[in-house]
Amino acid sequence: MTGQRRLGAGQTLNKGTLPIVARLKALQDPSHIAAGGGRVIADLHDPSPVAALLREVNETILARSLRFESAGGSSLTLDVAGRRVLRLTEATGVTGAESCLAAPALEDEHKDDLIRLMQAVAAPRHELRVSSRPMEREVDGMSVGLPVALVADLLLIELNDVPGVEVSAPPAAPPREVRRVRAAPVITPVAPVEEEVPEAVVAKAGVLGRLASGLGPALIAWLIVGGDEDGRLEGPEEMVSHLRGFLDDEATSLVLQLDLVSNERGAPVCMVLGAALIEGHCIVCARVGAAILLGVIEGDASQNLLRAWSGAMA
Amino acid sequence: MSVAESLGAVIKAYPQARVVAFADLSSRMILASQGRDDVTQEHLDRLCQQARASFDDPLFALSVEAFGEPHGSMVVGPDNLRVFLRSETDPADALCCICDHSIDLTGFVAKIRETLDSITAGT
Repeated sequence: MTGQRRLGAGQTLNKGTLPIVARLKALQDPSHIAAGGGRVIADLHDPSPVAALLREVNETILARSLRFESAGGSSLTLDVAGRRVLRLTEATGVTGAESCLAAPALEDEHKDDLIRLMQAVAAPRHELRVSSRPMEREVDGMSVGLPVALVADLLLIELNDVPGVEVSAPPAAPPREVRRVRAAPVITPVAPVEEEVPEAVVAKAGVLGRLASGLGPALIAWLIVGGDEDGRLEGPEEMVSHLRGFLDDEATSLVLQLDLVSNERGAPVCMVLGAALIEGHCIVCARVGAAILLGVIEGDASQNLLRAWSGAMA
Repeated sequence: MSVAESLGAVIKAYPQARVVAFADLSSRMILASQGRDDVTQEHLDRLCQQARASFDDPLFALSVEAFGEPHGSMVVGPDNLRVFLRSETDPADALCCICDHSIDLTGFVAKIRETLDSITAGT
């Protein structure tokens, strides 16, 4: 099955789900707290402590200051956010840290030095601990830092290593830019949900269209993929194309994210994500059965959303 | 005002809020909660996990790309509405709320934003 991975008892997962499976596995792993504080992420027998270090960074979405301390006495403190290493703020017991420490934001030119420092602190046969604290410096919106995936690639480390999962080649996907300029409103259906959709949900065909209508002009761009309303869309072509490109790339991951925020897997759900929720712009994503609506809300649509959802689901 | 008192004030002002909890998203822990619903620790753990998941990829990345880092999310389900707000100064601090669909959402979001800012600032 091209582009899919098989997990244990016949469970198949698309490649895009692997980071989420890896995240779930990490959540299940019991924590071992060291005597002096900090969480042990690699013990004496760990074959690759630097992989453990990189996975910690990869697990960190919110801005945090992570201090990695080796039982050998050396340490590194990294400001990280969104799976990127923004800055090196402290280095003890290692040499060659000057250029990284002096950099207000780590850039591509620092990656070799950073890798050497990581390898020095995360040395084999030494316990490695991590402690996490709020970042002391503001996240500079212009500083993107070094993606941990880039560092991992250079070290040939698989960040989403899930034991027992066979890796197969991902499906060939057209470049994002090609999809964005595609003029015809051809909607790629969302990956079908593997479990059977309850009859009650099937009977609610048209729910997402009613939700979109209920949201009114605050919903400035949207499209529906999957289900009976597959292909319905409205809004500026550029915005809709962007949403479509996102769904092309992330449909499977999105379904899993919706499952994670739902109280029940596969249940109808509507999620809104934004800076403030009651002003500015928000992303809205709703799922009913195999259909997904993805759109952009402008302004305060919070109260309208509740009415629209209740009305659509009635 | 203590954290518990701050959360209790939200419940008092908005009776449609069933649970209001203060969480440390980085450690995946609910640190304090108030509400009329009798919730177990498992319920609170799940609520915290849902808050983390709502601020995760792929929608997090889409939001960042489109409008900047999101600090609020809400999840509308068949039975309730869940609202999650992250602190803008310390994004690990968050309020996680379970509400009835009938709540005045605009006012409620403004109230819990003010409450979260106050808790994070320690005032």
